[in-house]
Amino acid sequence: MLQARKNRLWKFFIILFMSAGGILLILFSLNSKLDLFYTPSEMLKADIKPGYRIKLGGMVKSGSIIRDGTKIKFIATDFETEVPVIFDGIPPDLFKEDSGVVVLGYFLDGMFEAEEIFAKHDENYMPPELSIEAAEI
Amino acid sequence: MIGEISHFLSLSAVVIFSLILIFNFFFFFGKIHPNQLSLSIRLFNQACWLVFISFAMYVYLAINDDFSIAYIASHSNSQLPIFYKISSIWSAHEGSMFLWIVFLTAWSIFFINSLDDSHSLKKTTLLMVSLIILGFLLFLLLTSNPFERLLPFGAIEGADINPVLQDPALAIHPPMLYLGYVGFVISFSYITAYLFHGNFELEWEKDIKNWSLVAWIFLTIGITLGSWWAYYELGWGGYWFWDPVENVALMPWLAATAFMHSLYASSKSSVLKTWTMFLGILIFALSLFGAFIVRSGIIDSVHSFANDPQRGLYLLIFSGLITLLALGVFAYRIPSLNASKFVVSGSKESFLSMNNILMVTSIFSIFLGVTYPLIIEAINGEKVSIGPPYYNTIFTPLILITAIFIMASVDSLWQRSKPLKSYVYKTFFPVILSILFTYFVWHITETFSILSYIGIFSGLLILFTYLLRVLNNFFYKKFINKGSAIAHIGLGLLFLAVSLNSILSYEKNLYLAPGESIFVNESIKEFSFDDIKVLKASNHDVISVEVSLLQDGKNIILNPQKRKYATRGQITTESSIYASILKDTYLTIGDQLENGSWTFALKINYFIKWIWFSASLMVMGMLITIFKKKAT
Repeated sequence: MLQARKNRLWKFFIILFMSAGGILLILFSLNSKLDLFYTPSEMLKADIKPGYRIKLGGMVKSGSIIRDGTKIKFIATDFETEVPVIFDGIPPDLFKEDSGVVVLGYFLDGMFEAEEIFAKHDENYMPPELSIEAAEI
Repeated sequence: MIGEISHFLSLSAVVIFSLILIFNFFFFFGKIHPNQLSLSIRLFNQACWLVFISFAMYVYLAINDDFSIAYIASHSNSQLPIFYKISSIWSAHEGSMFLWIVFLTAWSIFFINSLDDSHSLKKTTLLMVSLIILGFLLFLLLTSNPFERLLPFGAIEGADINPVLQDPALAIHPPMLYLGYVGFVISFSYITAYLFHGNFELEWEKDIKNWSLVAWIFLTIGITLGSWWAYYELGWGGYWFWDPVENVALMPWLAATAFMHSLYASSKSSVLKTWTMFLGILIFALSLFGAFIVRSGIIDSVHSFANDPQRGLYLLIFSGLITLLALGVFAYRIPSLNASKFVVSGSKESFLSMNNILMVTSIFSIFLGVTYPLIIEAINGEKVSIGPPYYNTIFTPLILITAIFIMASVDSLWQRSKPLKSYVYKTFFPVILSILFTYFVWHITETFSILSYIGIFSGLLILFTYLLRVLNNFFYKKFINKGSAIAHIGLGLLFLAVSLNSILSYEKNLYLAPGESIFVNESIKEFSFDDIKVLKASNHDVISVEVSLLQDGKNIILNPQKRKYATRGQITTESSIYASILKDTYLTIGDQLENGSWTFALKINYFIKWIWFSASLMVMGMLITIFKKKAT
């Protein structure tokens, strides 16, 4: 009987230990792997540390796309604030002027360095915040 | 006219399903009428047939270009081949919901009629599926009516299917996926009925086992096809993006996988019963959750359909009620279920319980990843998103633990544990071989990423464990469960392929003018832009490029394209892929620069074909399991 109890206690501790480890892992992971989403105005207001990866959503300003080799520079705007973005690579098909864009990357010295430009299947896509703001304008 | 008839048939089905429920509700309290069951079954079959005929007519309308129907007018086109006219039905919300319901009805009618009339759970299961079908039919007709007419005048020409969806893999992917999702309505309804009756003498597992295995196969094929399509058609060159919509498909898959493992323990030794039932309910609940996420537009994803809060609310309330009903009955019965014996540690059941715990942990982590942005936004209004790094960190340790337990569990026995010595003997070779091979990979590639190496080690551990068993079977005729061995080899291969893919693959962005040729790296000595042509196809213009590569001493010709579709003005990228056993050479074209040169994205994807191959191994293993059972 005592042996059985001891065994059960052991099992209990192993399970407790493992679940605690799992939960810690999840929490740790969630906190460090979050990408916060900003519009250009919010991003400038928020004090973003260099090396902190974020998502920026806005409209591609018309006439702002400049290509240089495989590098692309454009301005993301929310009709109030403009942020220059630089990206090396091939943007998705639906990336064009006067159209919504979401980029993932780092904000450094007034320039947003994008690692990724997000494709949207819907050609009329607009980041939700912007469509609200655009409707208000 | 046919549109109206089709609409009318769906409405009649709603009326009949309601009648079945009302009729049975009134008899529930009184004494049982002798004809109650046979009448219910007859009505049920008729209602199901009404749904099928209604859908068949709808397909007929789509084939014959009835553009007076708003949905067909905005998603099909008279120039499309018949195959895509049909698949355009499930290219958007309304039609795909219709297909979802048709499959739900099909699974239900087959299952209900496979049960004997004397089966004590037949009536309750029938009522449960009727309730679910009714709920979704009402959802279709009230919030997303595919029969709506364009009045007073129909469209002359349809607006065309979205060109990226005009693809064989994508025409088959949604039906497969839906067949998988809704197939678990059977375990859901049946287990709820079982718990409701409370007759625990009944052996319930055998009635739903094969149904669940088949649904699992469809779900696996559906997810794999979607991944494959995204790889070659979208031009992103990836196979899995941890997009919320992919995640909501993965959750039922994990639950279903856990359920099937657990089903064995449940039917073989009557332990773990509670778990198995919970999982059986959970799968369909997660499918419903997925439907809610995709169709409410609550989460911003590439897959999500148009944003409509009304639809979201309906789905949330209805799915919530159905799930609460099932879980409520479950909770009520738990005390009487828990009488089963304790699990002996080291026995097969104990390993299967471990499997359950790991699977549920994975489901929970994904669930958290999907809902966390919603929670954060509700609390402090911040918009956040969770990407691949989160899932990679969570899953890598889980994969390692899974591999270790799979290795330890292969020879375990029901209800008995084995001496520790046998474990040492059994695991010695796989562990040593895996360590050696992992070191070997590190030695060749000279790259280091702790997560990927844990993945490689885990994959190898599973592979070697099973390969040794296969050898043992071959030379010493030791028993091997073929289906299980093939499926698990598939799993090991999947871990290995995914990890190797992540450390070896690379991407180069290039730009050059027609006629130019450049050096890329040691493997690709020459990249020549040979030719560019503008062609005209039936419904789109094509810019077709010819590029020749001198890769590893071999000459390869690639023809990536850019297409512009006339009716929608949409531009799509067609990748060109050269596949060899180890790697894919994947090329897409970008845009033209001012000086006349073009940009290219060249991706070298290692072991990517192996990912889909391993999924097909899992399906094959499952098929063997099903047929073997039929034979005995």
